Amino acid sequence: MDSDIILVIVVATALAFDFTNGFHDTANAVATSISTRALAPKTAVTLSAILNFVGAFISIKVAATVAGGIVDAELITTTVIFAGLIGAITWNLVTWYFGLPSSSSHALIGGVVGAAFAASGTEAIFGDGLLEKVIVPALVAPVVAFLTAGACILITYRMVGRLRPGSVNRGYRLGQIASASLLSLSHGTNDAQKTMGIITLALIAHGTLDGPSPDPPFWVIVSAATAIALGTYSGGWRIIRTMGSKIYKMDPAQGFAAQGGGAAVLLTASHLGFPLSTTHSITGAVLGAGAAKSLSAVRWGLAGNIAVAWVLTLPAAAAVGAVTYGVSRIFGEGALGPLLISVSLIMLIAAMFGNRLRHGPPVAPRADAA
Amino acid sequence: MIGAVDSAALLELVWAAPIAAITVVTAWGLVVYGTARAGEARRDGRTVRAALHVAMAGLGGAIFVSAIVLGLIVTTAKG
Repeated sequence: MDSDIILVIVVATALAFDFTNGFHDTANAVATSISTRALAPKTAVTLSAILNFVGAFISIKVAATVAGGIVDAELITTTVIFAGLIGAITWNLVTWYFGLPSSSSHALIGGVVGAAFAASGTEAIFGDGLLEKVIVPALVAPVVAFLTAGACILITYRMVGRLRPGSVNRGYRLGQIASASLLSLSHGTNDAQKTMGIITLALIAHGTLDGPSPDPPFWVIVSAATAIALGTYSGGWRIIRTMGSKIYKMDPAQGFAAQGGGAAVLLTASHLGFPLSTTHSITGAVLGAGAAKSLSAVRWGLAGNIAVAWVLTLPAAAAVGAVTYGVSRIFGEGALGPLLISVSLIMLIAAMFGNRLRHGPPVAPRADAA
Repeated sequence: MIGAVDSAALLELVWAAPIAAITVVTAWGLVVYGTARAGEARRDGRTVRAALHVAMAGLGGAIFVSAIVLGLIVTTAKG
């Protein structure tokens, strides 16, 4: 009976993480399009939500489970998964509250690493995997995207700088719709898979599914796709505002260079088997497209805050994951611990969303956008 | 521990990603440039010049669409 309750809690928590992943990462695909008025805010998040939903059905490669190669799979239990998810959700909510883009994948890996460490000690963690899959990509993604987007915007200005701004802006707004759509589809494919993988792992641990790497049941695919699409549709407006207009005043050509350049970097990396964080790549590209035009136009203090959030993602999510695991075990190995923690988190989320509804109106397109 | 990183893929990424990005952005730049110049040439009554700019925009558009299709293939190939 207890294992059934824990399974239900883990599935619900995984879907809650998927939802936060959707609204946290909406900004990557749509922030620049909204800022440059390529798309109206509601249209942008609706399009992104639909493409995230569709993207979730493209791939069911659950073998690529989260934290694979980073944490010893033999030591992962449903309680470790639960605690890792709580760590990731908490960090996603904290960074969303402060309007800071950060990697949901790194938060999830951090949460699972922390929970596994609390459960089994250092032998559960593979340092090489952590270096290869988290630390090096976190350093490479923003730098490559920054330099690439910088080069892209310089080439763009060279090509169209002497043309009438009206037709140029219309052209780049149109291009942004294509790049935003591709990014949304790619996000749905990559990130919904993580939730499918977690739920499938929990089903295997529970004994509902057999075999070393079974395909996820259809209801898992549909529910993961729905959760990420609903999260995307709800719109992480605070982060959208940061990415789209707070870092600097973006024109449509810069928006396209950041988004198109960032997408090209991401997909090239994915093709080479060197997956990078969407958040790190797009944020780096946004900064690069701004800095190449004018260094002083970029709010480097805000960029510094974002960098601090990236550095803190892994340890902070790990700390929450470890504490969650520890608290859960105080109540024994049954369902009471996860149940109490889940209820507490739901109350926290309700309080944060209530506060957002009172103080955080959706981002509006800038009236002065060219 | 540094041996854990696939340095060949990393190096390839460092040169291939900017080339891919610059190709996409330049291709769309050709579309924007060609379309704008073609409009100006048409207004000036220079039809041959307009046709050449339309062809330039078409070439850029074809490269851009190819890049999008390639991106879709990369995305779907993961399945």
